[in-house]
Formats: sequence, structure tokens, C-alpha cells
Amino acid sequence: MITVQHWLVLSGMVFTLGLCGVMMRRNVILVMMSVEIMLNAANLALVAFNKHLAPVAGTVPPDGQVLVFFTIAVAAAEVAVALVIAMLLFRRLDTVNVDDVANLRW
Amino acid sequence: MEALVFWIAAAAMVAFTLLTIAARNPVYSACFMILSFAATAALFVLLDAYLIAAVEVLVYAGAIMVLFLFVIMLVNLRESEHEGLRLNPLMVLAAGTFLALMSRAVKDLGPAVQETPNTLVGTPGLLADTLFSRYVVPFEAVSGLLLAAILGTVVLARRKEDA
Repeated sequence: MITVQHWLVLSGMVFTLGLCGVMMRRNVILVMMSVEIMLNAANLALVAFNKHLAPVAGTVPPDGQVLVFFTIAVAAAEVAVALVIAMLLFRRLDTVNVDDVANLRW
Repeated sequence: MEALVFWIAAAAMVAFTLLTIAARNPVYSACFMILSFAATAALFVLLDAYLIAAVEVLVYAGAIMVLFLFVIMLVNLRESEHEGLRLNPLMVLAAGTFLALMSRAVKDLGPAVQETPNTLVGTPGLLADTLFSRYVVPFEAVSGLLLAAILGTVVLARRKEDA
């Protein structure tokens, strides 16, 4: 039988994989894809909690699922802007390696 | 039956996510990520979130991944620039800490309860009722955010000589 714990462990595992991706990859596009993986894991946890807390329709509004809509919209907007920044980076500096773009680093 | 689908889809999601972050070629990464989103959509169906599952396929696996593939192809890395994977201790520490915190939190949830399938929670009608009554202000704010993102993208991507 599948319980909310199963879903949370799965979500946590996928989130950790995304975290490793952000820290491991040096290509800025791959880093952004890893951020998307993390957002997706959070979406999974939100929907799982929604099912856990609103087992009968009508008693509790599906807040978790509505929140997932907002995350998806914000993720889409974020990806569009971030990918343009990656393209500008490539156009100006001819690199997409995050280690080569460390001007703002202390 | 439900448990079987859960285990298959969960295993597929974790495996494809792992392949996404581990693949050397960014194009392969993007393709594996599409498969991982497909597995996630199956999991959303299991959670009775039918509309979310459809949106996941349309927006994530469709629109966002096409955007990623476009930029990967535009940037067009030379073969030598495909990076290898680097493991560093800090990363293992961060991932381990997160997993430990997560398992602690899951343990605090109390005894496991059987989830009953409920086909009414994820219907477009109920979601729309909630979205357009309780959440109508955030909904309008999101439309402003998307407009800002569109304008920002156009302004950033425009070459100077076109102006």
C-alpha cells in the first residue's frame, strides 16, 4: 500500500538528485535543468500533501494542486529569462561554463 | 495494481532524473528529463491530480523542454566541452544532510494511513472553482509575472543594432 510517506521519500530523493546536479554540473543550462528537477520534486510533494490532507472532495479546497499551478507558471517564466541570460553569456563571453563567469564572486 | 504502477513510475522517475544529471551530452540530458517528466505525470495521475498531470506534460515536457533544447542547440557546444562529473565532499555532505532531515521529517508524520482514491479532487471544475475564487488575486499576479518575463526576454535577447 502506498502512503504519503512513500511520496515524500520519492520527492526527497528526486530533490536531492537535483541538488547534486546544481552542485556537480558546470554547464549553466544543466544547472538550470537541475533547478527544474528540484521544482518538480517540490510539486510532487505538494500534490501528495494535497491528497493526504483533502481525502474527500469538497471538504478541503485543493490548495496543494492550485499551488502547483503557480509553481509551474513561475518556473516557466524563470526558465525563459534564465535561458536568455545563458544565450547572452554565450554571445558575449563564448562560454556557458559557470566557473568562467565568476566576476561577481568575492 | 496501484502499488505496482507507483513502483514502476517512481523507479522510472528516479532513474531518468539520475541519467539527466549524469549524461555527458546536454541533448541527452534534455531527452532523459522529458522521460522523467512523463513518469512524474503518471505519478500525478496516481495522486488523482488529472489536470496537473496534463499540465505537466503540456508545459514541462512540452514547452519548457523545447526551450531548453533550442538553447542547447543554439549554444552548440563542441564535443571537447562536454564536461565530466566532479564529485566533491561538500556536495556529498549537503545531499546527505538533506536526505537525513527529510527522513527525520517523514518519520514525524506518524503512522502510515492508507490513501483512498478520490476521483473528484483533481477535476478541472473543482480546481477552477478554487483558482478563480480564493486565488483570483495571485492568479492575476501570475499573469503580470508572465508579461514581465516576456518583456524581459525580448529586451534582453534583442541585439543592439536592431534598436
